[in-house]
Amino acid sequence: MRPRLGALLRTTTFRLALAQAGAMLAFVVALLIYVYVSTVGQLISDSDDLADQEYAALERAYTEGGIRRLNQEVIERAARQGPLLYILAESDGRVVTGDFQHLPVSPGERSQRVDFSFERIGDSGEAERGRARGRVGRLLGQPILLVARDLGDSAVISGRITRVLWTVAVLGLILSVVSGLLASWLAARRAEALSHTARDVMAGDLSRRAPVRGAGDEFDALAEDMNAMLDRIEKLMVTTRTAGDAIAHDLRSPLTRFRARLEIALNAPPDTDADRDALRKALVEADRLLDMFQAVLRLARVEAAQNWKFDRVDVTAIMQELVEFYQPAAEEIGLTFEGHVGERLAVRGDSGLVTQAVSNLIENAMKYTPSGGRIEVRASRRADGRIELLVSDDGPGVPAGDRERVLERFVRLETARSTPGVGLGLSLVSAVARLHKGGLHLRDGIGAEGGGLGAALVIPEFDQSRAA
Amino acid sequence: MRVLVVEDDADMAQSLRASLVDDDHQVELASDGEAGEDMALNGAFDVIVLDRMLPKKQGTAVVRNLRDKGVSTPVLILSALHDEDHRIEGLNAGANDYLGKPFSTRELLARVRSLWHGRTQEPQTRLQVADLEMDLLARTVKRGGKKLDLQPREFRLLEYLMRHSGQTVTRKMLLENVWDYHFDPQTNVIDVHISRLRSKIDRDFTQTLLHTVRGSGYRLEG
Repeated sequence: MRPRLGALLRTTTFRLALAQAGAMLAFVVALLIYVYVSTVGQLISDSDDLADQEYAALERAYTEGGIRRLNQEVIERAARQGPLLYILAESDGRVVTGDFQHLPVSPGERSQRVDFSFERIGDSGEAERGRARGRVGRLLGQPILLVARDLGDSAVISGRITRVLWTVAVLGLILSVVSGLLASWLAARRAEALSHTARDVMAGDLSRRAPVRGAGDEFDALAEDMNAMLDRIEKLMVTTRTAGDAIAHDLRSPLTRFRARLEIALNAPPDTDADRDALRKALVEADRLLDMFQAVLRLARVEAAQNWKFDRVDVTAIMQELVEFYQPAAEEIGLTFEGHVGERLAVRGDSGLVTQAVSNLIENAMKYTPSGGRIEVRASRRADGRIELLVSDDGPGVPAGDRERVLERFVRLETARSTPGVGLGLSLVSAVARLHKGGLHLRDGIGAEGGGLGAALVIPEFDQSRAA
Repeated sequence: MRVLVVEDDADMAQSLRASLVDDDHQVELASDGEAGEDMALNGAFDVIVLDRMLPKKQGTAVVRNLRDKGVSTPVLILSALHDEDHRIEGLNAGANDYLGKPFSTRELLARVRSLWHGRTQEPQTRLQVADLEMDLLARTVKRGGKKLDLQPREFRLLEYLMRHSGQTVTRKMLLENVWDYHFDPQTNVIDVHISRLRSKIDRDFTQTLLHTVRGSGYRLEG
């Protein structure tokens, strides 16, 4: 999983590094200009000052001692080792004494700054080209005086500085491109690890998780979120698969019976009564299958949590009506049925779903509680302000270890296999609870020594302030 | 009774026709929404059975158009979508009843008859079946002149049965109309309520008024 260069060049990190390199280059160019101006410029202005001082000194010598004194001074100074060049010439331009045979520039009326190229025979005997800056002018009695500074040294210095800066710029550019590549390679490698995980998961290995380095950086945060998402997906997949298996299992039995009844009826000699009986039983099986589909669809719709228009639900009224609705039937099968419904209880939700959820709980209790038992329906406001709709019985109950499992789709405890039902009742209640931002909790019932089952649907109370 | 069935599934349409004809109705079929609407506008039907999902025009749109054009023929919508909001949507469009698929034939026949009878009913303050009398204003019930003591829900149950006297009323119809419950209880709750009501209105009298219709539901009849 080595990221390829082409892909690397397209990464965001690399582009950022490139932009950074560009910014650095601009900075270096600016620095170059600044350094050039502040070093070479300074050198030139220094040499101008020097030439001006010399010019002034020689002008003074001429004023004080005339042409002889000037001539002597020029000869002496020109003989000295130094960067300064001198020329003394007649008013017609003929050179009297100095470093050149000819005047390289022609003087104006007043002394002026000059910048010129020259050629002369150096110490080695070879001709050397140079540049100089200085001052030239006619003195009072017409002789021409030129004092200039050879710029050879400063040109060398400025060239050197420029070269150093260019080297730094190029090196910096290379360095930032390389570091950009490296950074993007590192980032790409971590991103690649994440997408590798995603690809493995897509290929079907749901147990794969993105590597977390423990560096606590953004990639770790991303990997952790991704892993949490994968955990959730895996759990859902397992649930779906289990549900799928359960559907297949639960549908196969009635479908097989359905088929068998029809087949037996067909194979037997015609007998109106027997045929009608077979048809009736087949119809019962078909209804059971349709009920299952209906239950699955309804559950899916509740779990999808979409398109529900939530409103204030008068829980007190719903619970009182349900108690009144089920009490006669419960008493008919020898159960004691008690309702204790608190006043003015309301939640925010769908009244049809809440009604159906509680009715599922009541029917469950009625189904599993043997004759002579007791069922208690309670609706109350809990200390934490939430509304609890509790249906308790003193029937066989559900072992504590199985309580979480029975909330899953299609799970029916072995002991319940013989009773009618499709195993979606509690799943639906649980889904309704989740849809209402609450939960379904199974606990001990009201039998002796905590026997029986208590199923509590806990939903946040209707909040008047959020009603609009 | 003349019944218009608008249903695009040919098998379903034939089976509906067979059941309705069997129940002594004259049946005409339409296989899409537009044809259904035309026939409903031009033919004198007593009841219209309308599928919700139809080619060319949805069932709910058909009902809305019919009502807009002043056709008040009772409409029963059949739908595979029988969640609460779909049901309410269908009723709001102007349908008189809504039945989710799958349904039993008996359920359908009971509802079609109930729609027809319901149409001719005028607002009443008193209901009477044989010697059973109900005063809707005073909320009292008498049989043979003797006052019966009913719980509020028993009163509503009896009222519904009396309004549909002579017709078969299914458990589902009772659940929806008396309790406003739209789910199927797995237990025989309705039967118990009926038997309690029966013990109050029939026990001390020789003539039985509240009959059980095997496989379908109940019928109050003098």
